Amino acid sequence: MMLVVVAAGLAIISLGIGPVRLSPRAVVTALGGGGDAIAEVIVREIRLPRTILAVAIGAILGLSGAALQGLLRNPLASPDLFGAPQSAALGAVLVIALGAADVRSWALPAAAIAMAFVSVFALLAIAGRNASLLLLILAGLALSSLAGALTSLALNLSPNPFAALEISFWLLGSIEDRSFRHVVLALPFIIAGGAILLGRRHAFRVLSLGEEAAQSLGIDVARVRLSVIVGVALGVGGAVAVSGTIGFIGLVAPHLVRPLIGPDPARLLLPSALAGACLLLASDVAVRLIPAAEPLKVGVLTSIIGVPFFLYLIMRERRSLGGAAT
Amino acid sequence: MSGRARRRGAVVAAMLLAGVAGAQAEATRPPRIASINLCTDLLLLPLADPEQIVGLSPYARDPTQSWRAGEAARYPRLSGEAEDALAARPDLVLAGSFTRLETRQFLTAHGMRVEEFEAALSIDDIMRQIIRMGDIVGHPERAAREIAAIDAALARARSTVARRRLRVLDLSRRGWVSGSASLTSALLAAVGLADAARELDGRFGDFHYGGFASLEAILSVRPDVLLLSEPGDHAEDQGRAFLMHPALEQFYPPSKRMVLPERLTTCGGLMVVEALERLTAEVERVER
Repeated sequence: MMLVVVAAGLAIISLGIGPVRLSPRAVVTALGGGGDAIAEVIVREIRLPRTILAVAIGAILGLSGAALQGLLRNPLASPDLFGAPQSAALGAVLVIALGAADVRSWALPAAAIAMAFVSVFALLAIAGRNASLLLLILAGLALSSLAGALTSLALNLSPNPFAALEISFWLLGSIEDRSFRHVVLALPFIIAGGAILLGRRHAFRVLSLGEEAAQSLGIDVARVRLSVIVGVALGVGGAVAVSGTIGFIGLVAPHLVRPLIGPDPARLLLPSALAGACLLLASDVAVRLIPAAEPLKVGVLTSIIGVPFFLYLIMRERRSLGGAAT
Repeated sequence: MSGRARRRGAVVAAMLLAGVAGAQAEATRPPRIASINLCTDLLLLPLADPEQIVGLSPYARDPTQSWRAGEAARYPRLSGEAEDALAARPDLVLAGSFTRLETRQFLTAHGMRVEEFEAALSIDDIMRQIIRMGDIVGHPERAAREIAAIDAALARARSTVARRRLRVLDLSRRGWVSGSASLTSALLAAVGLADAARELDGRFGDFHYGGFASLEAILSVRPDVLLLSEPGDHAEDQGRAFLMHPALEQFYPPSKRMVLPERLTTCGGLMVVEALERLTAEVERVER
């Protein structure tokens, strides 16, 4: 409940700030479709899509993280560590580098989703069923390095002279100056992915007893696995197609709410999504407030916050990681 | 070493003769020149005799960036690196001051004469560079003819000057605005237009040498017209998609977007004549 209030508050702030200073009153009238024509366009065509994307993308990243942690019973699971955003970005980068399609067309999310699916599927296939933390992290590292290497290759070979610039910006991750066309492009996939993941919440609860126990209680573990992969791929792929890679929200969000909610993976899903939305909204507000010569990209900020958090988690899990290695 | 030194001596002598004695210098062999930078390619092409050019940079044949792509394709293509520039055995190499430092140092270290050209930021810069290039190739009379052509184009532009001092924002992909110290800004001033980048400067960051402007900043400055490098509404990447954002399209339909191809503004040279003509025609179209 509290999270909803925080998210709503942050969303309002997100509508209220930007490079052009508008009074709160001007923002409200502009939102209602009145007042100054320029203010109306700024609020409704620039800030509103940005805010909607921050909520939707943050939520799906948080939800994907919680779902993967539930599926694998593993607190270090997240789309980022599995190379899903990196692979989705590779799909999108291929479309950009080849100059094959308009970036505002369905080709972009389709390519991103396909690559995200391949990477999560490959990871779970390589790591096997009862994979240890170490194995998962190593396989994830290898996959994201592969996606990174192929992205560099695409950059290297691209006939579009601006590809290097475009791709580097893409990899930074940003939702500034997006339009409703981008919202239309991403939202259906994010909603579909989110619905699939939420639909599996009871399976996660049973899975926390262990896979054999879940199997004996009538849960088709293989099917749950596949549907989580599809859900994560749809959600993350759709998100990355418009924002580029925005990292570590999927890792951090579930950990933020776990102390409040408790360890039940089913109850954790929705709060994780809300926490993800709050995190991305807050980061996106922060990049607009932090004074810098060039505007900061939100993906840079989330990674800078996320990686130390990841290191902290590794420290905490040091014992089990060491144990898995023996 | 001594042979190369002698050749260099001959080049210097040829230049001096060309400058001082004019026609008498015809007897000495004019220098053979390699260019490893697009802008020096384009200064060199209209001034040198074809047999003087031993090679041009790879970008010279790219029609989106090069003003004389077709003509450039007739000359050997250099990689832009030191190796093949040396192997082509020119008397001197032309480079931009932004060409990789290592390449330039390597060439000088191997006894090659390297002439560096800065990026031209004004029409005066262009004229100075044309005169300098004319002296280097040994054809100052051709340089003088180019200067006269540019002067005539400037006079024509001034005579058909805009009825109203339109405020124009030169906008490229991702919201890049070329700054008030840029060739495009100088061209705008030459046809009587105001560069709206000056209005962004200070309010939304430092735009003197260019910078990225956000959509909100552009809309709040509200220039009369946008100046783009290409028309059309295909967004092959997110950077082009910026220019087709609904918020921009609403205020700037095609009738409020002037187009000046990149190949006319990337470098300074004789192409300013065509750039001024295009710009004048675009002003007339927008004002109609």
